[in-house]
Amino acid sequence: MPVTQTCLVCQNIDCKSRGAEQLAAELQQKIAAKGLTDVDVKPYMCFGACQEGPNVVVYPEKNWYAHVKSEDLDDIVAHLAGGPHVQRLDTIDSSLKELIYQLLDTGVF
Amino acid sequence: MEGILFPNGVVEGREGLKEYRARGGYEALEKALKGTPEAVIQVVSDAGLRGHGGAGFPTGKKWQFTREAPEHPRYLVMNGGEDEPGSRKDRVLLENLPHLVIEGAVLGSFAIGAVKAYLYINAKYETAIKSVNDALSEAQAAGYWGQKVLGGSYDLDIEIVAAPHNYVAGEDTAVLEVIEGKKPQPRQKPPFPVTVGLFGKPTSVNNVETLANVPPILLKGADWYRGFGTKDCPGTMLFSLNETEDVERPGIYELPFGTPLRHLIEECGGGLKDGKRIKAIMPGSPSSAYLPADKIDTPLEPNAMREAGSMLGCGVVHIVREGDSIVDELVRITEFFAAESCGQCPACQMETKSLAMLMKRVQQRQGNAAMLEQFGKLLAFNKGKGFCNLIAMPGPPIESALKLFPEDFQALLAKA
Repeated sequence: MPVTQTCLVCQNIDCKSRGAEQLAAELQQKIAAKGLTDVDVKPYMCFGACQEGPNVVVYPEKNWYAHVKSEDLDDIVAHLAGGPHVQRLDTIDSSLKELIYQLLDTGVF
Repeated sequence: MEGILFPNGVVEGREGLKEYRARGGYEALEKALKGTPEAVIQVVSDAGLRGHGGAGFPTGKKWQFTREAPEHPRYLVMNGGEDEPGSRKDRVLLENLPHLVIEGAVLGSFAIGAVKAYLYINAKYETAIKSVNDALSEAQAAGYWGQKVLGGSYDLDIEIVAAPHNYVAGEDTAVLEVIEGKKPQPRQKPPFPVTVGLFGKPTSVNNVETLANVPPILLKGADWYRGFGTKDCPGTMLFSLNETEDVERPGIYELPFGTPLRHLIEECGGGLKDGKRIKAIMPGSPSSAYLPADKIDTPLEPNAMREAGSMLGCGVVHIVREGDSIVDELVRITEFFAAESCGQCPACQMETKSLAMLMKRVQQRQGNAAMLEQFGKLLAFNKGKGFCNLIAMPGPPIESALKLFPEDFQALLAKA
């Protein structure tokens, strides 16, 4: 299946220090285990929300999950499979979201 | 042309103590120590000396604030971090006129009542550090600093600190962090160093060139100093004309404030090589806006530069040749700021990295019109954020280039 959603996992210094590398690898594994062939995981350089990292942005759906921990990944993958949006991880200010979504809309990543 | 720092033009060659004394060296200090610190501040204020590190804050005022701060002890820090790309004016002073700089630092220390002066010098400047270190030994032996300066009641200790050579390490408060043994990261302001500075005590941070102007001012007087430059901005400045092969005679030139930019480029620099024409001029470092070629008669003076749409900064003048791509320039500039962002402010990291990524896409012909709109949005969103000014620095070059040379961007988009 062609890729329809991309999980952009921030890999800048702060998010990395909070385990973003391991998180991206785990997310990739869980997506594969669930058989979601239309979802990709990619690194991103910085979303500007370092204190709320690790940050994962689901694009083009435009869902931003902050403070993501390993134990949150099952809920995120469930969401990617059509389940409910993970409300507890949706903590980012709307103006920053808008700025980043506009940037992503230009096709920059 | 007569100068203030270099009486006969900028010349290479180290001036020792004997030669410096032969032209009136340390006489300003002898004179000052017979009077009061307040009198030193008064003359420097009357002369209208402003900081030569980029911000242009009145030096007399900075010293007065430091002196009037209630806490003790007080410190003076000479900022010779000089990490501005293309700038080497401080190095030229430290290598060639170490005693002038040291006398200026001692005078500044006396003015604010400092117990210790730290000479913060870019670690890459090995020759400069040796030159200043040797001069400090000579000056101490002659009684110009140490216990009982010139036999009087003022005691001053001086220490050289090697500065890490990354960009933010030259920011005033990052300098203080380094001297305290920490990472070079700017502090949140206020409080400003004049009240809460080094080790939490009142501190005056002064650029090398600023301090070098103090001995001549005290020796020859405020009126003499005001004979150079303009009414609003007296004195001279050391201009760094881009250190590339583009100009016939690149180098450091001391010119009075108010001198037309054309004089620096054509008379001093000899114009562009191979008869190339000027496309744009960046008059004050990579964080200043480009000026179009027809602004070449703008006076080298802070207010005039502001009115023309740019800034004078620390006098690093860079020329873009006709035929050169402004986008290539901006890729270099945005990547520089992204790399030099110290990493402690999230907004700065996101902004500088995003700008660099977008500019690279445009350069690689992967850009689109929507991308060009993101530059302004990112800059506006992040305005006023961050501990230091680095977050604002990529703005002027990008926004001026988009305005002056839209065709450079469009050409790359059209072929996408």
